[in-house]
Amino acid sequence: MIWVSWRQSRSQAIACLGVLAALAIYAIVVSTSMRTAFSHDGLAACLARNGGTNCPDAIQAFTNKFGSAVNVAFWSVLLIFPGLLGVLIGAPLIARELEFGTWRLAWSQTVTRTRWLAVKLAIVTGGVIVFGAAITAVITWYRAPMDRLTGHFINNAYDYEGLVLTAYILCAFGFAVLAGLLIRRSIPAMVAAFVPWLAIRLVVEFVLRRHFEAPLTFVQHCASAQSCMGGYGLGFIPPVTRHIGDWVLGPGGGSGNQSGNSYLYQPADRFWAFQSIEAGIFVALTAIALGAAIWILHRRPAA
Amino acid sequence: MTQGDGGGSPPALRTAGLGRRYGHVWALRDCTLTVPAGAVAGLVGPNGAGKTTLLQMIIGLLQPTEGQLEVFGETSHANSTDALARVSYVAQDHPLYRDFTVADMFHLGRAMNPSWDQGVATTRIDALGIPLKRKIKGLSGGQQAQVSLAMALAKRAPLLALDEPVSSLDPIARLDFMREVMAAAADTGVTVLIASHVVSELERLCDWLIVLTGGRVQLAGPVDDLLTAHQLLTVPRATRDAELPGFLIHRADSDRHSTVLVRTDPARPAAQERPGWGVEPVGFEQLVLAYLQRPPGTAADDPAQAATRPGPATKEVTR
Amino acid sequence: MFRFRLDGASGVPPYLQLVHQVRQSLLLGYLREGDRLPTVKDVAGDLAINPNTVVKAYRQLEHEGLAGGRPGQGTFITGTLSPATPDTHNILRASLEKWLREAHAAGLDDEAVTALIAVARNDMNKEKV
Repeated sequence: MIWVSWRQSRSQAIACLGVLAALAIYAIVVSTSMRTAFSHDGLAACLARNGGTNCPDAIQAFTNKFGSAVNVAFWSVLLIFPGLLGVLIGAPLIARELEFGTWRLAWSQTVTRTRWLAVKLAIVTGGVIVFGAAITAVITWYRAPMDRLTGHFINNAYDYEGLVLTAYILCAFGFAVLAGLLIRRSIPAMVAAFVPWLAIRLVVEFVLRRHFEAPLTFVQHCASAQSCMGGYGLGFIPPVTRHIGDWVLGPGGGSGNQSGNSYLYQPADRFWAFQSIEAGIFVALTAIALGAAIWILHRRPAA
Repeated sequence: MTQGDGGGSPPALRTAGLGRRYGHVWALRDCTLTVPAGAVAGLVGPNGAGKTTLLQMIIGLLQPTEGQLEVFGETSHANSTDALARVSYVAQDHPLYRDFTVADMFHLGRAMNPSWDQGVATTRIDALGIPLKRKIKGLSGGQQAQVSLAMALAKRAPLLALDEPVSSLDPIARLDFMREVMAAAADTGVTVLIASHVVSELERLCDWLIVLTGGRVQLAGPVDDLLTAHQLLTVPRATRDAELPGFLIHRADSDRHSTVLVRTDPARPAAQERPGWGVEPVGFEQLVLAYLQRPPGTAADDPAQAATRPGPATKEVTR
Repeated sequence: MFRFRLDGASGVPPYLQLVHQVRQSLLLGYLREGDRLPTVKDVAGDLAINPNTVVKAYRQLEHEGLAGGRPGQGTFITGTLSPATPDTHNILRASLEKWLREAHAAGLDDEAVTALIAVARNDMNKEKV
């Protein structure tokens, strides 16, 4: 049964390897020049000296050159990429058998359909996890120079480095497997899984993420109006807290004390805690979807 | 190769009041029949009569709504390994994975069936000249059907269920397929259940017959007994149904005469030769077609039906 | 290897067709005592017919004393049909052909000839009993 699962996902696995290879090649090409620029333009030295507060021009030049990563259009594609991947892998798992009638072959051998699905899910889920981890590793390596300027909380870093990328793909995969079982056709299942996945994804990122832990307050003391530099927002380097990697959420948290502007922020060292929480949400959703799929298949008398 | 007289061996199939409902529609109802081990049974009926429903319950792909089902004496539950191991299945249009090679399909069979005999599969395929390394989509329809059949036979299950296996094949491919099935039946004594709506082909294949229309069993039993239990009479047009000996199955009226098919009823006196009446034995195809033309939903459990059920000690079935 | 054939449209039950073919082959000399008949599996696999049909035909032949099974070896022809010598055959055939010509000259077609023979045979059988 393990061989069967592997053989049926073989072409998908090869396609994923192709994607990974293409990504790796792109990453090597771009990142090499990024790293060269980083050290050559003296950014490394500058950051070491002042935490990046005294070299705005160098930073500006660097981000202009390599900052397409923060381009909205590019980032929109990056947003949906894990979802697309997940539904492309997950929807045909059961739906294809139902669509083409091969369920009558697959489920009349001496293996119950529940076991058939459980083994298949184990194999493919394992593959998705490995694939997600590999992409995460490649992108983390690729973005390393930029991350030293922006920190890890910036969207296109956070979404791709750490645990959440794999969790996003898994969740879309889980939804798609369940949709495929219920709808019985691959393409409609892909759509039916992608839409809720995207909705949840957007809600978690833009509404819930900043609240995973209670934010801290930073009060900015300004010697004069001009020296109160910095704004908030993830694209701002360095953030008002003067510590690269902190995520400044916005003004607030002040107790009316007017000695300076006060801001709410999430410190950089909370990155992994936040990753764990967010990944946990999506993995839990995956487990529910896959568990439901197994249960429904077990209970339902036939396709 | 004997059939039906294995006194100690359980029948290949026994159902009692078997039924399956989808929503408000009964796809099969009140199905009570027995098929002995070693028989080649034909399951005949128009499309939608319930043949596939019955077969899928026998295989373990579908859970009955009511009634009991026993395969070789063991009660069958859907989706259990025991039930699945007892029956080999070639579904309608012989589904296969089109991107797999023939060798891959056999590997699948080996991986998913503990009773798999690889030699059976490869011997058949070699004898038919089908290359193991070719992808399924590169094979003709007839060759694909043969691969499906080879897989079913290599599973070594005691009951082989074929659902309209040849309806999409050309005549040569049909013949080749059935040749393989009959040779396997002769070789291993496997019980075969063939669902078909092509009556003419079943005559030479089957020694047991089940006719289904509208989800109900119209006729079931050994072919020889069924044929001797029926008569084809040519009678004057004016003859009333009640005057006919036996149970009327089918009547076709012409201007001056009628052709009637009757089932002889032990409770009524045998047909006496009357002047103007012609009596002929009935042929297989005529018999089946007559039963197929009965209105769907006609009850099959009239007393005469019980007379055609075989053998000793057939228990009275309670529902 | 002796090969059977099957006529689906003849109305004659398949097993009787097989018996008939053996008898006819014996009459014509194509089968002789000691010849081995094909196995049940071979016939079933050749004609695509139920193996029981073949079993029934072979049993019928055994019953008529024409064939017999040897365990582990198959079914063999054990008897002959026509005790008459080839000479007797030729003489009978000559007088038959003469009679047929007379019948045709009298206006009987093939069907009428066959019917006449059947009636005559029936009457003769009744007389025997």
